[in-house]
Amino acid sequence: MTASRRSGWNSLLLSGLLAASPAWADELAGPRYQIQGFAAQGLIGSTHNNFFGDSRDGVSTRFTEAGLHGSWQALDAVRLSGQILYRQAGESDQDGLRADYAQADWQFYQTEASQLGLKFGKVKLPYGLYNETRDVPFTRSGILLPQSVYVDNSRDLLLAAPGAFLHGASVQPYGAFDFLLGWVRPDFDSPSVEYSFLGNIRPGTLKGQGALGARLRWDLPTDTTLMLTHADARADYSPGIGDTLTAGKVRFRNLLLTAQQRFDTVTLTAEYGEPRFDNTGFGPYFPSSHRTIQAGYLQGEWRFLPAWELMLRHDFFYRDKRDKNGHLFALTTGLPAHSMFARDTTLGLRWDTTPNLMLRAEFHHVDGTGWLPGPDNPVFIDREQRWNMWLLQAAYRF
Amino acid sequence: MPHAYFFFRRLVLLTFLLSPLAALGGIIVNSDVEAQRISIASLRNIYTLRQTLWPNRQPIVVFVLPDDHPVNVAFAKEKLGLYPYRLRQTWDRMSFSGMASAPIQVKDENEMRARVRATPGAIGYTSKDMVYDGIKTLRLE
Repeated sequence: MTASRRSGWNSLLLSGLLAASPAWADELAGPRYQIQGFAAQGLIGSTHNNFFGDSRDGVSTRFTEAGLHGSWQALDAVRLSGQILYRQAGESDQDGLRADYAQADWQFYQTEASQLGLKFGKVKLPYGLYNETRDVPFTRSGILLPQSVYVDNSRDLLLAAPGAFLHGASVQPYGAFDFLLGWVRPDFDSPSVEYSFLGNIRPGTLKGQGALGARLRWDLPTDTTLMLTHADARADYSPGIGDTLTAGKVRFRNLLLTAQQRFDTVTLTAEYGEPRFDNTGFGPYFPSSHRTIQAGYLQGEWRFLPAWELMLRHDFFYRDKRDKNGHLFALTTGLPAHSMFARDTTLGLRWDTTPNLMLRAEFHHVDGTGWLPGPDNPVFIDREQRWNMWLLQAAYRF
Repeated sequence: MPHAYFFFRRLVLLTFLLSPLAALGGIIVNSDVEAQRISIASLRNIYTLRQTLWPNRQPIVVFVLPDDHPVNVAFAKEKLGLYPYRLRQTWDRMSFSGMASAPIQVKDENEMRARVRATPGAIGYTSKDMVYDGIKTLRLE
């Protein structure tokens, strides 16, 4: 019932878009607004574990993404932009249509080579290379982003949040610099985020407090990009009725390092971080914990023909730096050790069939279940350590 | 490392020399743009959306042909030293995140000239190095 109502909404939205997209064609002068969008459908098959639906020994069609993005140059120094997103990803994301972000950007200082501005509203959060456009299939390096760094389990936390960012950019002889520095109130109040922070869906609610975000990007004249992202977010827990937890606090901190080198048709990328999670004050049934994750990947992309690209990636994720193979965890909880890590080797192929249509195929060999989506694999002991996954995706843009 | 870099640069150069589209025309701007010439660095900054104003602080309006249009492919490679797909990646990253507006895409060279002629602060490119009414051709240096 809900699903059909949602798809009805979706087709309405899409028809609206298609009608609106050539709007600036009849306006000869520079347009003050732009509309663009995308729609993508994926197919997923896997062995032993599920990913985004019932993919195990079958095919899941439950990975759909569509977006409508608009921007309006309201004044020479003020631009408004926002995005409506439709997303479905198996059991993990069934929210359908949502407002992704809506922001105003006031560029209060502009010269030929430098800009300084303030953006506010529900703003996109800077986090590594891909986060701000993570739902736009064309901007990703694969059908899936490296799950170590861009964990789809905690995506709600990283997407967009109410707040403000000061940003600046400057072009110099030794490269181009960009920075973003801001304060937001991130969204911790979603089942998947609760799952990753509190190990389960709890009766109470996690409410995001202030979070600090900063990113520094340096594009060198040697076709090199270096980037540092810092995030520090906190949330308070309000216990529910009959709750075994008391009013505790969680904190997430990370310093993410990014390096990319582009050679002619080859792009090499690496990102690495050690996010720190702290849980305190949840009472005797949920002891305080402080753990450091290790997450990173190495990736090569090769555009061997103008419309074809091959991608190879090795991605690693350790839930606890001090217990990488999960032995300690298995010993103390009796649960499988493989939930504490995941090493994913991915091979991907991209074909830009036309400038508007992209087809992709991807194969993953995964050792570990560290980032396996919980809602798609509810029975903990049924999860298997070594599993494979293939994905196909068709994405259209306008 | 630098060796590998230059090796690739040489490869790029070689591709250009072998390309049948090597004869590319001019960088065109609206007649109200004050500049007479433009540096390669500046052109690259404009097309990667890093430079948004002309030296007299007039906003730049950037026009492009479709990604697979031969004139666009030649312009991107020869004038900017970038593959069209890399340009598209940059535009997508900047526009979908709300940091900048993507360049305005026109369908062919006729529309390119018409829009550049009609839009204050506009910049575009054509395949022929010709003089057109109401459009200025910039010297690239």
